[in-house]
Amino acid sequence: MVQGRTCESIVTKKPHRIDYCEVTGRLTAGNTTLDGRKTMIGKTRRKGTWLAATVLAAGSLFATALPAHAEPGVSAREIKLGITLPLTGAASPGYNKIGNAMNAYFKYVNENGGVYGRKITLIQKNDEYSPQLAIAKTNELILKDKVFALVGPLGTATYTAVHKSVGLAKRGVPSLFLNTGFSGFSDKKSYPTSFMVLSSYAMEAKIVAQFLKDNHAGKKLGLVYQNDEFGIDAITAFKAAGTKFDVTVPYTSGSQSAATAQTWVSQLAAGGAQVVVFFGVTSATAPLLAVAAGARYAPQWILGSVGSDPLTLRALGVPVAVLNGAQTPAGNPSPNDTSDEYVKQFQEINTKYNDAPFDDYVLQGMNIGLMTVQALRAAGSNPTRKKLISAMESKGSSFASVAYSPLGYSKTSNVGHTGYYMAVMDANGDRKPFGGTVKLYTTDSGSGPVVLSTFKRPAMPAKGLPSNS
Amino acid sequence: MELWREERHAVRKKIALFILLGWLLLVIGDRVDELRVYQGAQIAMYTIALSSIVLLTGYSGQVSLGNGAMMAVGGYAAALTLNNLGSPVWFAFLMAIFFSALFGALLGTAAARLSGPYLAGTTLALAVGLPAIANQFSFLGGEPGIFFDVGLPAQSLGEEFTQYKWFFWIATFIALLSLFITSNILASRFGRTWRAIRSNPLAAELSGIHSSRMKILAFTISSALAGLAGAVLAMTISLVAPGAYTLTLSFALVTGAVLAGVSSLPGVVLGALILVAIPEIADVLANRLGGGENVSNYLPGLIVSILLILSVIFTPNGPGENLRKHRHKKASSH
Repeated sequence: MVQGRTCESIVTKKPHRIDYCEVTGRLTAGNTTLDGRKTMIGKTRRKGTWLAATVLAAGSLFATALPAHAEPGVSAREIKLGITLPLTGAASPGYNKIGNAMNAYFKYVNENGGVYGRKITLIQKNDEYSPQLAIAKTNELILKDKVFALVGPLGTATYTAVHKSVGLAKRGVPSLFLNTGFSGFSDKKSYPTSFMVLSSYAMEAKIVAQFLKDNHAGKKLGLVYQNDEFGIDAITAFKAAGTKFDVTVPYTSGSQSAATAQTWVSQLAAGGAQVVVFFGVTSATAPLLAVAAGARYAPQWILGSVGSDPLTLRALGVPVAVLNGAQTPAGNPSPNDTSDEYVKQFQEINTKYNDAPFDDYVLQGMNIGLMTVQALRAAGSNPTRKKLISAMESKGSSFASVAYSPLGYSKTSNVGHTGYYMAVMDANGDRKPFGGTVKLYTTDSGSGPVVLSTFKRPAMPAKGLPSNS
Repeated sequence: MELWREERHAVRKKIALFILLGWLLLVIGDRVDELRVYQGAQIAMYTIALSSIVLLTGYSGQVSLGNGAMMAVGGYAAALTLNNLGSPVWFAFLMAIFFSALFGALLGTAAARLSGPYLAGTTLALAVGLPAIANQFSFLGGEPGIFFDVGLPAQSLGEEFTQYKWFFWIATFIALLSLFITSNILASRFGRTWRAIRSNPLAAELSGIHSSRMKILAFTISSALAGLAGAVLAMTISLVAPGAYTLTLSFALVTGAVLAGVSSLPGVVLGALILVAIPEIADVLANRLGGGENVSNYLPGLIVSILLILSVIFTPNGPGENLRKHRHKKASSH
């Protein structure tokens, strides 16, 4: 049986080229078979058919209507929003709950009249914490699903890549309440349509630096950090604050595992670190603490805010005993604190619409939902992307939010929350304010001082339903 | 003399055909929405990548599962050139071709001693390992990768001329140019020699063909094409990262080549079109099945695998090849 192409040249020297075709059994010179038939015509026709088929197929894929000029993602009955986050993969534990929590809050709002009569639809896309996938998925959200805005996109490296590649600023796509604390995103000139929500990692590091000075002076310090903008943001702030670490252990995002954690713990233990600060994701905190517990290495842990959710850590196999006494900077109240009006309301919504264990990530997701609804309302009954951005700039700083610190939005700033309090985990893995009461410290991402704040956050809107305009 | 004239005429016709096709694509690109323009750039990228497989596997008979890795070499070479030397974009693309060709030549030297499953296994290992190396060297940017920004389109093209249209123009131009060059190479003495080696290596050697040297040459040119595709891919996402050149990409390319007919150069456009259409189909299916994002994330891989298995069972050389044989038989029966 003949495989592949069936015509072979048996004499190749020009101008006497002769081909032999195994299927037809013909010898061919140029376009003429030796029995006198023309074959080049058939060959050309074959190529032509292929070309025509290809162009037709391309045409059919391309055959779409021209873009409409109406505001993308907004119809008389609906506002479409999008989020990219890791729903699966190494970095997904904990963070994969945020989208569903936002959705649960939106369902609650939709059942109570929506936003000026429009129901909110949230489209979640799984980027697996990969910049390349985040770009592809954001493209889908903007070009295919035609969302009105992005809300809560998660991850520093992913958002950096998305912003640059998809051109969010150039397209004028609002990107609200980024789930990352990278202080670089607070550059309003480079990120004119993006708005942070978390206090920056630089702010967090400055507040932790102050805490180390006040409470752990003279001890040997260790630092484990994610070796990208996330951790480097913190390192820069620690350096500026004059904090010197005796042992530093960087890890590459995606490399976290029990095996790599063994090397981190060995380095920390060999360096004699008595206090270890951790700036990384929860999926890295878990192996670090578990391996350290196995090796009976028990320093004073100070766990960064984004990687310290007790419920997720326990689910990832970290013994409660290890968490007991761990210190952490926190922006929000404990998800178990039902005396907090925000937590209480969000817990009720979670029970009815989400049915997931209520933890820091669910609380964060619900809160982003609450802030999103306020932003949409502030944009008016005929929202446009420009109006939404303008509303964030002019009214965003007065939005109700579960976090204790003030919001920094203005015409010249896209900074979200601006402070932390220090907390400590108890024997049940619950988080309590360090020293018994919340001592909120505020600062900026630059050289500003760390200040003890007396700020009182706005009250939760009645029934958790914003009525602002 | 007449044959010479005929060939010159054929080349002229081919050039005219490519210019016409280019013009047609640009007209289409002007009339469709941005999503389709972006997909158009992806089709152009896949076209180049598939033509590298057609050249290597379809013509020289060497099976490679590591084209994703070759694309990574090209992508990183282009990005490092552009970012560190501040060179013009075209030079970055040239460097992508150069370094991937160099890498291909080295690999080809080893590959010339291997064949069949051993060669496939070696290139598979490369596809798995090479992109992950980026995590070990900080100058390669780790998991987040490094940016590859070809810049904004010229302002003279107007406000409406988007970044993605710019990518589409560049990618289409590169794809048409590489298709033209590849088709000429395949129609030349080299193409015929590769086919001779693929059909019967022993007979080819007896005819005086230095098969190892020719295999290395095929590997080099194929890698250069794959590297160029890698740089075009990097351009479309403005980024070079290990996540962009996965094993899944290498498998998808093999599937695309098989579906297109692994020895059919015109078929690569159809193969590229199928590869871009698969996620769209998966999305529609996922919506119908109601599985949401999780289903639509894994469905493309499933569709690719099913298509590959079906194609191997029913049309081992691709549907295009079957069609061609069918037509040949029809022609001979008349």
